[in-house]
Amino acid sequence: MYLELEHIRKTFGDKVVIDDLSFSLEKGKLLCILGSSGCGKSTTLNIIGGFLTPDSGRVILDGEDITNIPPEFRPVTTVFQSYGLFPHMTVIQNVIYGLKFRGYDKKTAIEKGKRYLEMVGLKDYENAHISEISGGQQQRVALARALIVEPKLCLLDEPFSNLDAALRVKMRLELKRLQEELGITMVFVTHDQEETLILADYMTIMNEGKLVQMDTPENVYKNSSNEFVSEFLGLKDIIWSEDGKIMKVVRYANP
Amino acid sequence: MALLIIIMVSPPFVSSLAYIQLYGRRGWITYKLLHLDWMPYNRWGIILMQAISFTPLNTLLLNGLLNKVDFVAIKSARDLGAKASHILKDIIIPSLKPGVLVCLLLTFVRSLADYGTPAIIGGRYRTLASEIYIQFMGAGNLEKAAAMNMCLFIPSIIFFFIYRAMMKKINSSPSQAQEGTLNLRMHKCGPIGYGVLGVSIIYVIVMVLQYATIFLTAITRKGSFPFKFTTEYIQQVFNYNTATLYRSVIYSLIVAVVGTLFAMFFTYYVERQKIRLSSVFDCIATLPYMIPGTCFGIGFILAFNHSPLKLTGTAIILIVCMLFKQLPTTTKICAASMSQISKAQEYSARDLGAGRLRVIWNIILPNMKPAFLTCFTYGFTSSMTMAGAILFLVAPKTLLAVFKLFDATYTGEYGVAAVVASIIIIVVLAVEGLTYILTSLWEKKHVPGTGTYQKNLWG
Repeated sequence: MYLELEHIRKTFGDKVVIDDLSFSLEKGKLLCILGSSGCGKSTTLNIIGGFLTPDSGRVILDGEDITNIPPEFRPVTTVFQSYGLFPHMTVIQNVIYGLKFRGYDKKTAIEKGKRYLEMVGLKDYENAHISEISGGQQQRVALARALIVEPKLCLLDEPFSNLDAALRVKMRLELKRLQEELGITMVFVTHDQEETLILADYMTIMNEGKLVQMDTPENVYKNSSNEFVSEFLGLKDIIWSEDGKIMKVVRYANP
Repeated sequence: MALLIIIMVSPPFVSSLAYIQLYGRRGWITYKLLHLDWMPYNRWGIILMQAISFTPLNTLLLNGLLNKVDFVAIKSARDLGAKASHILKDIIIPSLKPGVLVCLLLTFVRSLADYGTPAIIGGRYRTLASEIYIQFMGAGNLEKAAAMNMCLFIPSIIFFFIYRAMMKKINSSPSQAQEGTLNLRMHKCGPIGYGVLGVSIIYVIVMVLQYATIFLTAITRKGSFPFKFTTEYIQQVFNYNTATLYRSVIYSLIVAVVGTLFAMFFTYYVERQKIRLSSVFDCIATLPYMIPGTCFGIGFILAFNHSPLKLTGTAIILIVCMLFKQLPTTTKICAASMSQISKAQEYSARDLGAGRLRVIWNIILPNMKPAFLTCFTYGFTSSMTMAGAILFLVAPKTLLAVFKLFDATYTGEYGVAAVVASIIIIVVLAVEGLTYILTSLWEKKHVPGTGTYQKNLWG
């Protein structure tokens, strides 16, 4: 397996935030971690990203134990919920920042930056300042910045939660397209069930620091392993595509 | 941090006093320990002393700004492969740029206006500010002093407008910053990191030395080395100068109470009611922050030297002057706190039948308790240690402790000066401690918290 988490445990003081969490993911797939706030999903992401060290357990990426490697040396990048863009730099400077530490000369870096900006649909914005662009555009900059360094794994921490509903649907499809195009492995954290069902190759549902179920969205929907899962997913109608994949989620206004 | 607070509340001139004691012609270090014979009274001494005494304020200002740096941006930089040294260079230092500029401006104007340091340790080397002091105090030449003040005033005014523009920039920068601990070890930051660490350590040592010197000077016989302890200076101060000390405390208390109330009403009407010309009012209220104290004081003399408002030589003019000098900061503290109270609360109260005054009394005031305390402390502290602005306004019967400190230092009674300085520091710290305890008691009762000094110092 490409990414493996083995018996991760993390406590803050007396509180056990993650308890014996294990899962694994194939290369090039998108995994959604779904759960309500406080279930430990962000902590999990921070552990994979290297911002937190687990009390016990291991994180293995592409055969290498990365549990104790600091974030700056990990082949992992993160798109944060609030983006964490550098406000004093232009769009292109933001995007190519990571290339600086990977031996690129300025010219090649800028060329590559332009290519990635085009890829996320921000072709003419390279010299704009961060404060001049909209939230959705900032989101794309953050995404381009994380993808340009060609990480082995890209983490996304509720990246669409600051966008309005229509934009969220659009970005979702774009992310999926990019991920498939680049063949990049992604772990995506969200509390949005709909997002998960549409985006994920695999999904895990977390509750109180524990993994409740992990499977493809289709299987989770068809045979929820327990009551918590079915309740958490809520009453929904699903429009299936011909090849048996979830195409659309119809949510009742009042379940 | 604690050290910085002590320095912030110290009266002016203490660093000069300590400088003379440590490195002067008969200084403990230069003469007694190293047996050097050198003249410390020159321009370099002034520059060094001013640099040291303006450091804490700038540190607090920049610290406040540092807390505003987006934690997630730093996290992202690490995530993309930036090591500590790069984070410092690429993210933190650029974010501090406008703040550094503001600090430069403030420090420049304050150094320009500082008459005490050059007067005490400048020797024959005089600056504009010390010359004004000598013209006024020595030669009694009000007109000449006032004219020279214009030379201070004009650059200050220009800087003031640059300062306001910079502040706008700082305050308008996106404040969606997420806070978090900056797990950035300085010693991992390469040469810059080591440099910063080195300078900080030296600074702390110099400061500890400075305060140790002040307290030691207060209780040891002049020129004795090794030290001979004595209570002579303490007795002297208590025998002859108690009135001055009391006066300082009482005036400062009045300024603190009246100033706090005034700032609160002022802020309420300017910020909350959005009366016309509110930006002009705000500008006027902030002006004293930048104007050199002596300009401020001479303005007061010229304004109130004639009947019907002949106030020169009275306590009233002193108190009023102190009041206005501390207004910029207290109004900012109140504004910060008031912006925490949602308009909806006010509207609800009005909606339920409360009149305007009732709204202030029942809604605004209770929510601003912590801000009151902060304002009170600031007003008290700044009044206890204020010198420049009221320098020309004090009369023999309204002499304040700070000036006793200055005179004693100027005439070489270092022991007395050190006792006065120590008393000022202790009194101010006691008041600060008391309000700190009160605040933490209130915070337990869930009164919405208010900013600390750091946040509010951003005039």
